[in-house]
Amino acid sequence: MYDLRTAAPWKYFFRRWKGVFIGGIIIFLVIIFSYIKNSAVTEAVLASAVRQSTPLILGALCGLLGERAAVINIGIEGQMLLAAFVGFLFNVWTGNLFLAVLAGVGMGALLGLLLAFMSVTLKIDQIIGGTVINIIAIGLTGYFYKVGMTTKGKLQPIPLGPLAKIPIIGTVLFNNPPITYAAIVLVFLVHYILFHTRWGLRTRAVGEHPRAADTLGINVYFMRYMNVIAGGAIAGLGGVFLTLEAVGSFERVMTNGRGFVALAVMIFGKWTPLGSWGAALLFGLTSAIQTQLQFGGKVNIPHQFIGMLPYLLTIVVLAGLGGRARPPAADGIPYEKE
Amino acid sequence: MTSEQSSKSSSRNGSNHLLKRVWYSTSVPVFAVLLALLIGAIILLVSGADPLQAYAALIKGSFGNTEALSRTLQKTTPLIFSGLAVAFAFKAGLFNIGAQGQLLFGAIVAAVLGFGIHGLPAVLHASLALLGGAFAGALFGAIPGALKTYTGAHEVITTIMLNYIAINITDYLADGPWKDMTPGNIVARTPKILDTARIPSVAGLPLGFLIALIFSVVTWWLLRKTTIGFEIRTVGLNPNAAKYAGIKVAKTIILTMVLSGLLAGIGGAIETQGVVGRYQPGFNTGLGFDGITIALLGKTNPIGVIPAALIVGAMKAGSSQMQFSAGVAKEITDVIQALILFFVAADMIVRWLLRIRAAEEEKVTLSTGWGQQ
Amino acid sequence: MKKLYLILVFALLASMLLVACQPKATEAPVQEPTKVPEPTEESCSSPDVFCVGLVTDVGEIDDKSFNQSAWGGVQQAADELGAKINYIETKDAKDYGANIDLFAKDGYDVIVTVGFALGEATGMAADQYPDIKFIGVDQFQGEAKPNLSGLIFPEDKSGYMAGALAGMLTKSNVIAAVLGTDLVPPVVAFKEGYEAGAAYVNPDVKIISTYHPGGLDVAFTDPEWGATTAKQAIDNGADVVFGAGGKTGNGALIEVASHDGLYCIGVDTDQWGTVPEAHPCLVSSAMKLITPGVFNLVKMAKDGNFPSGNYIGEFGLAPFHDFDSQISQEIKDKLAQIRQDLLDDKLDTGFPPED
Repeated sequence: MYDLRTAAPWKYFFRRWKGVFIGGIIIFLVIIFSYIKNSAVTEAVLASAVRQSTPLILGALCGLLGERAAVINIGIEGQMLLAAFVGFLFNVWTGNLFLAVLAGVGMGALLGLLLAFMSVTLKIDQIIGGTVINIIAIGLTGYFYKVGMTTKGKLQPIPLGPLAKIPIIGTVLFNNPPITYAAIVLVFLVHYILFHTRWGLRTRAVGEHPRAADTLGINVYFMRYMNVIAGGAIAGLGGVFLTLEAVGSFERVMTNGRGFVALAVMIFGKWTPLGSWGAALLFGLTSAIQTQLQFGGKVNIPHQFIGMLPYLLTIVVLAGLGGRARPPAADGIPYEKE
Repeated sequence: MTSEQSSKSSSRNGSNHLLKRVWYSTSVPVFAVLLALLIGAIILLVSGADPLQAYAALIKGSFGNTEALSRTLQKTTPLIFSGLAVAFAFKAGLFNIGAQGQLLFGAIVAAVLGFGIHGLPAVLHASLALLGGAFAGALFGAIPGALKTYTGAHEVITTIMLNYIAINITDYLADGPWKDMTPGNIVARTPKILDTARIPSVAGLPLGFLIALIFSVVTWWLLRKTTIGFEIRTVGLNPNAAKYAGIKVAKTIILTMVLSGLLAGIGGAIETQGVVGRYQPGFNTGLGFDGITIALLGKTNPIGVIPAALIVGAMKAGSSQMQFSAGVAKEITDVIQALILFFVAADMIVRWLLRIRAAEEEKVTLSTGWGQQ
Repeated sequence: MKKLYLILVFALLASMLLVACQPKATEAPVQEPTKVPEPTEESCSSPDVFCVGLVTDVGEIDDKSFNQSAWGGVQQAADELGAKINYIETKDAKDYGANIDLFAKDGYDVIVTVGFALGEATGMAADQYPDIKFIGVDQFQGEAKPNLSGLIFPEDKSGYMAGALAGMLTKSNVIAAVLGTDLVPPVVAFKEGYEAGAAYVNPDVKIISTYHPGGLDVAFTDPEWGATTAKQAIDNGADVVFGAGGKTGNGALIEVASHDGLYCIGVDTDQWGTVPEAHPCLVSSAMKLITPGVFNLVKMAKDGNFPSGNYIGEFGLAPFHDFDSQISQEIKDKLAQIRQDLLDDKLDTGFPPED
């Protein structure tokens, strides 16, 4: 395989994402066509896609921040669940949504700290560390959740002035509650930080070649800690999205595997924020379409076959797009100072 | 305390040396369990429950009498298989999150063969259904393996997706073509399997558990003593080196996933033939995900998977009794499991507390296999 | 550091003590029932003590849904009949039998099992323990057993009334249903009834309904899926949403509550009490009165006139609460008429499907 990285950046970018571009154009054309046919339904489906993609992209951002610094995080599910619960508790106790979001994000960061402690300091195998977080989150939330706690409201959509009035894009993108906006902003922010700042360069250096980074005076442990904690905070935001923005209440195991799907989204997006966002949107879109197919009714096939379309499509697209995903070179390997 | 003393005055003869080795390798897990129970007790105290009463009930419900013991072994059996499935894939650097889906297919195919075939003698029928389940699991496991080798699709994504697909397909089958049509039945489930297809318990000992033990040993043997096992482990440690050494990496990956799926499939088949007696949606929930915990707890060692599964199985079996007599919510067992896993993995904490030296064992790093090839 | 170490050693010692004590603690209760009948404790095996146990379906006792309603009936038995009560939450469907056994072996007089999925295990237990009365909620009895009563509900009729209400309330002529899974027959009954009821009062109405795409293990515990699906239905023009599927349905109700001027309808119990977040839209609930049904059966078991076979529980719409003034007398009369017709079996609810 020839090394694309020596080619011009835009060329490299296009070659690497060729399949995504073609797929994106097809999806775009289909959306335009369906909008002309039935605007309300198209907007309903797209809005649902954005909403369903939000916890996935937040989870994926958490995963890729860690992995860019060579810490695998399969505990996203647990981080989201426990953060969702803590955010919910704070909302019940204080009635202040802002405080509750902060508390949830803080809980996520705390679990990030725990994961970093386990994988960087204790050098426990990182998959074990993540699994510990997943199980303990199920246990603690299940044990301490008591029925009868009622939240005091949830985050409401904020239309962004005239932007919200643009057809399709406006209603779908610019008429959302705050965490959804935050998720979109974070996609670009994380992209910028990772690829256009010194911090990002250092993070990637630590993930690709920690020994060299260390020689250059980069504190490998510090970089890993900070990235995993930041990732935890983002996963925490994904958790409070569920309790404080989307549902407005907590239920046991309400993450329902979204943390694992986020992991898949991250790999699908080849460890990049923009790619992951595309993957999350694709996943949200297929879920929304399967719901819409059921709404249409009288499709003469068992609903299980419609229900598995999103998953089947993910595999087909992944297999069809080809291109092996390459994780950061040092991913999952604890760093030992010499 | 005696074993510690003996270990101090060691190295004089061979038996003492053996004792020392046993002490080194078992002390950490034992104390990990104790520490986890202690922290669990603190949580129970904080929430106003009586930890002594809770743990007593937990033990009574899992080991208190033959019936409880038998139930514990029944719960342990599928956990051993899903643990083996995950551990086996880890050895080749593959993370098989899809044990759940493979297990479901094993369970439903065993059920179909169990109720659909008539007139076979017991041993033959039971073995046939078991083999069918194994084959179904292997086939479903082959998909992510093939996708990975031929298209590069990452097995973590494909196995997660295939889990959802497996649930949908098996739900459809159990509510559609293979539904139990007994008059009056409205439940989505297959008919009961024939008695000839059942895997019985002998004097309270579920035969399925014995099969699980055998497969643990076979898996260990396969990995340690055969060329295939060597190739699998080499691919897991360093796929590039494996390629240099002339190992067919693609073939090895598919084979690993097939065998991993096969193990999970047998686990599902035994659930159908030994416990449930039919396939019913919702009856095999979470077993595949428990497999990840078990594999890690057993340090991906096929033999280590057995005690790991036993601990988790015992907690599953005893939790009803705990709720019944101590009024403690079952989720506390999840917390304890997580803590055990933490302390087993963070063995340096336990070693530091007890001043035990590390046993010479193979260092486990599972996560290096994350998509490297 | 040294202090920390000391503390940890103490903790360890304490844990060892804790464990060392366990065998003694366990041996005692194991042996006692066989050798000495407990004299002081209120033992369920004594004929003077009336004990009622409840085994849930997979899920929690406080699920804001059918487990909780059934437990409510058992609690009422404790208050009014002085029964000693206890429950076990089933975590693994394979434990249905074992959990029933725990109560049976302890000498409980009545055992309530909740959910159609426990039907088989309950039937087997009823054969094994002829002296114990079993109440199977949602369990249709094909053949009557003297000590087993199946408490069943005409969910289709309940759903029919919800559908009729939705059909009369809608202004957009689009109504929605967000449902658990069709693997659970009562959910299907609610849906078919809902659609038939809506079409009966309003032939032009468009009904959009969805089942959760996941399996049994997630179909009832996915509030975010319920919420986002309800949102999609609202964006499709629906102005009345029926949420029938445990926590998934509850998620749908709460979502509708955050939109102005829309109605939502709950399921199973009067969800005004169980999902207060939905008050802004919760006009009523399609009820099956599990709590009084369970209580009545427990009481009959105590009084010695326990019915065998199927015991049909009551159905109906929950009170309109805050919406009472918004519902016209015309609608109320029509609903009363429909209820009467349903009781007389004059209406076709479309369930069970005729083929």
